[in-house]
Amino acid sequence: MTLVPVTYKGGIYQHDIITDLIEDLGGYIVQKHVIASEVVLQCFVPKEDIELIRRLGKPLFGEVTDSPLVGTEIAIVSMSLEIHHLPHPSCDIAEYVRRIGAKSNMVSLARGPGKRISGLNDEERDVINEHDLAVYLMGNFEHCIGEKMPKLRRGIDVPIILCGGPDEAALRRITDPPFDGYVGNVGRFMRRTKEAEQLEKLDEIVDVITRVVEKKREEIAKDPLSVSPARLMDLIREKVPAILDVTSPTPLTVQMQGLRVKLPYDTFAEPLKKIAIEDGIHLGDVAEVLPSRMRDYILVKILPFSETNMVV
Amino acid sequence: MAALEYFEVECPEPLGAEYYRQIANDVLLDHNLLKVVEKLHIYIDPKVPVFVAVGTLRRITTIVRVRDFVNVNPLEGKMTLVISDETYLAPMLKIFWETFGKEHVEQPDRFTVMLYDVKMSAKEVEDIVVADPSESLFRDLIYALRCIAPEGFRLRKEKFDKTKFSFVASENTLAEDIDALVAQKFALIGEKP
Repeated sequence: MTLVPVTYKGGIYQHDIITDLIEDLGGYIVQKHVIASEVVLQCFVPKEDIELIRRLGKPLFGEVTDSPLVGTEIAIVSMSLEIHHLPHPSCDIAEYVRRIGAKSNMVSLARGPGKRISGLNDEERDVINEHDLAVYLMGNFEHCIGEKMPKLRRGIDVPIILCGGPDEAALRRITDPPFDGYVGNVGRFMRRTKEAEQLEKLDEIVDVITRVVEKKREEIAKDPLSVSPARLMDLIREKVPAILDVTSPTPLTVQMQGLRVKLPYDTFAEPLKKIAIEDGIHLGDVAEVLPSRMRDYILVKILPFSETNMVV
Repeated sequence: MAALEYFEVECPEPLGAEYYRQIANDVLLDHNLLKVVEKLHIYIDPKVPVFVAVGTLRRITTIVRVRDFVNVNPLEGKMTLVISDETYLAPMLKIFWETFGKEHVEQPDRFTVMLYDVKMSAKEVEDIVVADPSESLFRDLIYALRCIAPEGFRLRKEKFDKTKFSFVASENTLAEDIDALVAQKFALIGEKP
């Protein structure tokens, strides 16, 4: 059974029919938003059952759309929190990728701006590495990007997508080794992205992110994970009731190779490790439970089949 | 950019210059400075690195008075002031409190202010000066130029007088002969520093 990431958008009336259906089909709901009289479900569903969900959702004004970024956590790396970069373009881009299902976090660097003076500290590096991929939003000058980029990518082992003012060819020329994705002509600007041309640029960023995510998914498929992150999410929600009291919008954030559990590490790491998955296999056997650098959260990293020799 | 008589962005990277032209335009527009700035020349060299902005200012004579945004209706013993624009409401109230005392001023809703038993005529109330936008002009202009300049350029030097201004910023210590560069840029807009 292949699970594919989709977004269901429909009326709130009787939407539990859909949530039950997804669960009965063996799918997982990653995020649920109730906005006024509308409900948005970001979920993983079996590929062959999408039509069924579409058919049953039709009387409830439900729409099912592909969202390749559901179940990914993306770091939008902004050079600072100053007016120069916020709210445009950093927030615009972070918000745009959220619309198509990704969970985006903005990572703002303490010493990001400048050419000679810019740098990345260990906390920032670790936080970025906890994500599935990072989108670096740079400025408008080719010369500056070329000079500061080696410092800002040091130690980052997740795929990086570089966005900057110069065109794509120039960005490729000044960076060595190459990044996983490039989007040119999106540097610093001070206006809202609302015109067609600017929205096209945002779509281009989304396309590049999708391409990088798909590539990463293919790589993961070669050595599959011992357990699906979405399944672990469901299990944790069931077995650790404390997660239901967390007020954060996504108390359990699903990533491509694990998940972030927004509970204190000291108290909950041990109970998490002991969660039984099936047949005497515990969460601790198939995943590493690590302290996250983001607040005192827990990061669950699922081990691949080659390390555990089991898939549950 | 119709309001600016002269507007140029000079930069060794043509694409960068184009972006900065757009940024400068957006920032000046957002801060309502297009009417104030007459000429503006920006020079950016990311290699040095240095950012220079020189320009001239228009004379601003507009003083904001009560009559500009308020309709005063006198009615035996009290005056009803109907406000059309809230921008200067707070400074106006402050002036009223100081002049007439709080017990004579009342604001029943957002767009209405009532004055009770004041000794001034409606005409005199209309003539009260509420704000002088030129007071905060330099502060606004420096803030706007800081927004335009690349963020890493934190070492700054500004010079302002009533008719012209220069703003220099860099990431490194400013060179000693920076004034020569400023003079050179002023020459481009036909002015002397």
